[in-house]
Amino acid sequence: MYLIKKSQVSDIAKELQKEYQVYGPVVDKETKQTMFVKADDIAEIDLAAPIPAVPPKHTVFPHYERIMAYNYDPQSKKVDINPDFDDKPKALFGLRSCDLTGVICLDRFYLGQEFVDEVYKNHRKKMFIVTNTCNVPFKQCFCVCTDSGPSAREGYDLNLTDLGDQYLVEAGSDKGKALAEKLGLAKADDSYKKKKEEIVDESILKFDSIAKDNKAWVSRVVNRVTTGLIEEKTWEYIGNQCIECGACSFVCPSCSCFNIVDSCTSATAADRIRTWDSCSYEGYTRMAGGHNPRKPVEDRRSKRFFCKLSYSQSKKYLRPGCVGCGRCQWVCPGDIGLPNVVTYIRREIQK
Amino acid sequence: MSEINNLTIPEIATIEEIKDEIVEVKTFYLKFDARPNGEPPAIKSGQFVMCTVFGAGEFAVSLPPSPQKDRFHLTVRRVGKVTNALHELKVGDKVGIRGPFGNGFPFEEIKGKNIIYVAGGIGLIPLRSSIMHVMQNKDKFGRILLFLGARTPKELMYEYNLKEWKTAPGFETHITIDNPVPGWDGEVGFVHTMLKKKNIPVKDTVAFVCGPPMMFNAVIKELTELGIGEENIISTLERHMKCGIGKCQHCAIGRTLVCTDGPVYTFRQIKTLGEQI
Repeated sequence: MYLIKKSQVSDIAKELQKEYQVYGPVVDKETKQTMFVKADDIAEIDLAAPIPAVPPKHTVFPHYERIMAYNYDPQSKKVDINPDFDDKPKALFGLRSCDLTGVICLDRFYLGQEFVDEVYKNHRKKMFIVTNTCNVPFKQCFCVCTDSGPSAREGYDLNLTDLGDQYLVEAGSDKGKALAEKLGLAKADDSYKKKKEEIVDESILKFDSIAKDNKAWVSRVVNRVTTGLIEEKTWEYIGNQCIECGACSFVCPSCSCFNIVDSCTSATAADRIRTWDSCSYEGYTRMAGGHNPRKPVEDRRSKRFFCKLSYSQSKKYLRPGCVGCGRCQWVCPGDIGLPNVVTYIRREIQK
Repeated sequence: MSEINNLTIPEIATIEEIKDEIVEVKTFYLKFDARPNGEPPAIKSGQFVMCTVFGAGEFAVSLPPSPQKDRFHLTVRRVGKVTNALHELKVGDKVGIRGPFGNGFPFEEIKGKNIIYVAGGIGLIPLRSSIMHVMQNKDKFGRILLFLGARTPKELMYEYNLKEWKTAPGFETHITIDNPVPGWDGEVGFVHTMLKKKNIPVKDTVAFVCGPPMMFNAVIKELTELGIGEENIISTLERHMKCGIGKCQHCAIGRTLVCTDGPVYTFRQIKTLGEQI
């Protein structure tokens, strides 16, 4: 454990910038929204900024990326295939623990199953992660319910905790330790461990008074969602509320579905593009010829919550698929963010 | 675990020959450019590959029987954008292949049993691969029956195979068309209605079913009524696929992914998935 003065915390980011592209929470001057973007000027990064509107998932899984470019010549019958994987070194500075948990979910899903996803592996190859403890929960989040915060426990290189006039810096990897040593940070004694615990406990207690409609006790519904013992009319109600915009998937730190399309760039060349996709779209399961096994919206809607809440899917992530950031509740125009769905299912159980 | 090295980037193959099967269906014989003698990768009957048509996109397609003996080929019906583009290609043109993916048919588990194939229309394409395998190892199985249904005689797939199978010893073929047509002297009626008429074996029997959803459901109903257990009805499922390696999730049915856990399932498994076929 180390200590760093608040005024000097940007030194860490500046040091990282020598080797990595540094991404961090930046408040947009016009909209006042926090975006997790590449910061060329470290001074733009605001560690005290609210949780980013869109999760930093795009740093490891961009919403639109070229994975391959090819050139085919119908005359000479020659095909050139050029894989295009992004393996630029990236540093994520000031990640919240829910978003880090999202990245961990993606790691386990893309890298830990039968096949390894090459594209994702290249994004993750050279990465430095600096997380930031939430001393006060934001009004829409519920990481307390999903065991993903308020402070990161694994997967980070450095973790920062706000102690008032200074930050407590914990190293979670050799890479992180080396950086802290290189910057010559002051060592923190064991009493700071206790101090951090108090901050985390206090933050958890604050959740109860700050949270309103976002107390999602996910563990209570895992059984029902896994076994499918939820009445059809509950899903129908949820389906009727859904306007199929796909926003919930796009702001979810652990949603991993993608689509692949070939887009022609000239008469003989094309790019293979990988984009985010959402299970709420009607075309998601529609096959050539028009047969669609998931036509009604409620059939599709239940799948997202199956992914986030069921035991079968949790086995892939080794934790619940929901990381408790609360963004789906925040953006959903149909009022069926995950906490609300959990509430609907619990209401049904109580009946 | 996997030795496949074309998971993300396709291998290039050349179209050697194109054969017209029935209306809108063609078979493409392929040679792999980068492999010795153009031989295909090792595949199991029942698996599938992702085929890239350059400039159009990629689609999932079921594989031919033992390509070590026959030449590697794909039989494709013209349905959407990419398959349309494939049908426009000529001999000598290039396509991309990723795979093979999927689990394949469980031949070891069904040794010694009677086998009934029920196919509707182009449902014969994936089943043919299993039929050919079984025909080559006939001594390992009991009675072998094929029930094939098509709308018209013109839509009967693989005529040259059917001719051979009709006369093959130990192989019973029943072909039916939906409506009577002048010049057709065979059976008429939907394929599921044939099952009860023909006195099929029920004990120690495995049924392979493949066809459009309507036909599939009718056949399953008949078979279970006759007493063939749900675990002995095997089918291969079709889904919208993008990656083939269990990542894009388009082929998810309940908790399984058709690309890695399937595409071959028993009806008992299909029933517990809790989704439409």
